Amino acid sequence: MRGLLGELATGNGGGNAENGETVTLTDMEASIEHMSRATIRHVDAVLMVTEPYFRSLETVGRMAPLAKELGIPHVWAVANKVRSARDEEIIRSYCAEHGVEVGGVVPWDEAIQDADREGRALMDYEPAAPAVVAVGGIADLLENNVGGGNGRGERR
Amino acid sequence: MKLAVAGKGGSGKTTISATLSRLLARRGHPVMAVDGDPNPNLSVALGMSREQRESLMRVPKDIMEMKEEGDARRLVMTRPVEEVTSEYAVEGPDGVSLMVMTGVDHAGAG
Repeated sequence: MRGLLGELATGNGGGNAENGETVTLTDMEASIEHMSRATIRHVDAVLMVTEPYFRSLETVGRMAPLAKELGIPHVWAVANKVRSARDEEIIRSYCAEHGVEVGGVVPWDEAIQDADREGRALMDYEPAAPAVVAVGGIADLLENNVGGGNGRGERR
Repeated sequence: MKLAVAGKGGSGKTTISATLSRLLARRGHPVMAVDGDPNPNLSVALGMSREQRESLMRVPKDIMEMKEEGDARRLVMTRPVEEVTSEYAVEGPDGVSLMVMTGVDHAGAG
């Protein structure tokens, strides 16, 4: 898989060159520690999605050092299903203790379950849902910080 | 830009992957989404139609092989990447392309 991802990164991956560099986004198996190192070594950024529970956070705690050891330039935790200030605080303090930057905070959003029940994409079911807005913030973060050093913030 | 989204099962990584893919595509980026989960459901989260989902074939393992290079091993493509994407990638909403991988070899190069 690394071979394919590596190739997609170097060419334009079959994308339209006029629109700029192709974004390759891989929804990984649960945790990068299960993947061969060769698979993930060549990514520009890892987003580690975590819920405000200890076992979920522990996964971040195990993944982050590996990602950094592999030299991945950007390693961010993304807080998900956050219902309260307390939830956010739990994630922020765990990440601070483990030296992991929080790249986004996505609130608990009923629209996700509702969309899922209907087998629809959240983007189609409720494009203005709070979770979509929060993920938009992660897109900003990526455009402004990742991508061949030519920041894409101007594209917004 | 190459991104990997990871997280414990049930953490919501697939919803975030799909939403992020759609948003980046709407901002003008060509997006290739790759489903690397052994229980793939990114296609539904992306909002692909039944027809689009039914046309998805998993990318077979034999498009890559392990090469020994001294004491290192690495995965190399056995076919040109353009050929693989044109055969296996399916375009969905907002122009996001999706490829679904076959179970990743855990015994791969460490």
